[in-house]
Amino acid sequence: MHERLSFYIKRNSVIHHLNPLTKLTLVLALILIAFTSPWYWTPHLLVLIAIIPLSFLGKVAPEFFKTALRLILPAAGFLFLMQAFFQPVGETVIFKFYFLDMTQESLMFAFRNATRVIVMVSAFTFLLLTTHPSELMSDLTRRGLPGQFAYVIISTLQILPQMQAKAQTIISAQRSRGLDTESSFIRRMGSLTPLIGPLVFGSLAEVEERAIAIEARGFTSKKVKTSLHEIPDPSSDKLIRWVLIILVIISIALKLWLS
Amino acid sequence: MAFINLQNVTYKYPLTKTPVLQNINLQINEGEFVAVIGPNGAGKSTLCYTLAGFVPHFFKGEISGTVEVAGMESSKSTLDEWVLNVGLAFQNPFNQISGAKYTVFEEIAFGLENTGVPRDEMKTRVEEALKLTDISNLADRSPYSLSGGQQQRVALTSILVMQPKLLVLDEPTSQMDPIGTREVFGVIRKMAEDGMTVVMVEHKVEWIANFADRVIALKDGQILLEGKPSEVLTSDVLAENGFGISRYTSTAREAKKQGLWKKENLPVTLDEAVEGFSNW
Repeated sequence: MHERLSFYIKRNSVIHHLNPLTKLTLVLALILIAFTSPWYWTPHLLVLIAIIPLSFLGKVAPEFFKTALRLILPAAGFLFLMQAFFQPVGETVIFKFYFLDMTQESLMFAFRNATRVIVMVSAFTFLLLTTHPSELMSDLTRRGLPGQFAYVIISTLQILPQMQAKAQTIISAQRSRGLDTESSFIRRMGSLTPLIGPLVFGSLAEVEERAIAIEARGFTSKKVKTSLHEIPDPSSDKLIRWVLIILVIISIALKLWLS
Repeated sequence: MAFINLQNVTYKYPLTKTPVLQNINLQINEGEFVAVIGPNGAGKSTLCYTLAGFVPHFFKGEISGTVEVAGMESSKSTLDEWVLNVGLAFQNPFNQISGAKYTVFEEIAFGLENTGVPRDEMKTRVEEALKLTDISNLADRSPYSLSGGQQQRVALTSILVMQPKLLVLDEPTSQMDPIGTREVFGVIRKMAEDGMTVVMVEHKVEWIANFADRVIALKDGQILLEGKPSEVLTSDVLAENGFGISRYTSTAREAKKQGLWKKENLPVTLDEAVEGFSNW
C-alpha cells in the first residue's frame, strides 16, 4: 500500500552527487548518439563502455541488471526477432522458418535497432535509479520548467499507487456483498462495470479537494518560488554537460557528412 | 472595525437552486476563537470556503454582500493574494496531501516554497511548526504512510507553518482520537492567544465549551444563534432544531424537569455536570 512508483535507490556515489540536469543531459546524449552515429557498432559500444560502467560507478549495478534482465532484454529480444524475420531487406538468406526468411542484412538491422532500444531504456533506467524524481523536478522548475508541469509528473507518480489501492478497496467491498469476480470472463466484465463509476467520480471529487488544498498553500502564487533542498550545480557539472552536447553535435555532423 | 466583517452575504453554488448562505452578518475580532456548529447541509463548509476566498473565486456561483478580512475585500482581491492572509484546512486529510512531496518535512515546506520564503527561514519555520503540533517524529516519513489522524495533523501543520492571520478549519479533528483532539485544540487555543483569529467547524461540543470564545449555530444557511459557548450550547433552541448537543446538557435538561438540577444554567462538559449534580 505504501509503495510508491519510484525506482530511486538512495546510495552515496559520484553519480548521485551529480546535478540532475547533468544526468538528464547524459541520458539524452547517449540516446541521440546511439541513434545518429553513422558507425554500426556505436550503440553496442555505448552499452559496454558507458552504461554498464556508469551503473557500477553509481553503485546501482545489481538493481540495474535486475531491471535489464526482467524488462529490457525481453522487450528488446522480441523486437529483434520481429525485425529479423519481417524486415524485407537483403538477399543472403541464412535461416528459413516456413515462409519467413532471415537474411544477413535484416539480422544486422534488427541487432542494431534492438541495441538502440536497449540504450534508450537502460539509460533512462540508470537515470531513475540514481535520481530522486522530486530532485529532478525541482531542479528543472528552478531552471524555468512550469511548476504545474512538474506537479503533474510528481503527483501522478505518487497518486497512481493510491488509486490502485482505492480500486482494490472498492472491489473488496463489493465482493463482500456478493460481487462475482471468479466466474467466466464475460460475467466478470459485466460485474466490474458498476465499479468504474465510484472510482472515476470519486477520483474527480478528490481532484477538486486537492486543488483547493494546494491552492490554499499558495500554489498559484505569483511570487518567485524557492525550494527547500539546495541542489548543487558546480562548474564541473556544467563542463560535463558541454562536453556531452559537443559529442552529440559531432555525432550528428558525422552522420550528415557521411550520408 | 472588526477583523472579519461579513455584510449581508448571500451565496448560491452554480448548480443549486436555493442559496446555501442567506443574508449572513458576522463580525469577528482579531485573536478570537469562534466555533461553528450546525446540522448537515447548514452551510458550514460553504462559510469556511467563503472566509478562505474559495467562494466565489474557485467555486464561481452568485455572491452578494461584502466579505472583508484583515481590511481586504474578497471580491476585490485575487485568490493567491487572499491565501497569504487566510489559511484553510478541511476534513479529509488524504486529499490535502499535495502529492508532490515524498516526506512530511517537504510536505509542510510546500506552501513556503510556493510563496517564496528563503531556504533558511523555511527550515526553521517547518521545524517549529513540527514541534508545535508534536509531529517531529514523523518528519522523514512519507505522508501517504500515515494514519488518518496523523495526516490531519500534517494538513493542519502545513497551514499553520504559513502563519496566516485567519485560520479556517473545517472539522480538523474528525479522524483523531481523544488525546489527539485535546492536543490540537490546545495548539489552536494557543495560536488564538498569540493573536491568530480562528474559525472552526466542529461537532465535538464539549471541546468547544472548553476552548472556544464564541459559538455560531448555523442552520439552513442562516445564523440561528450566536454567543458564549455556555449559553448557545445549552439553549433549548439547539435541541429543538436537530443540533448535536452534549449528553450532559440533555441529561441535566431532563433532570431539571424532574427538579433534580437546581442550577440556573445547564452544563456542557462532564466537569460542569459533576459539579452541578454534587451540589444539591
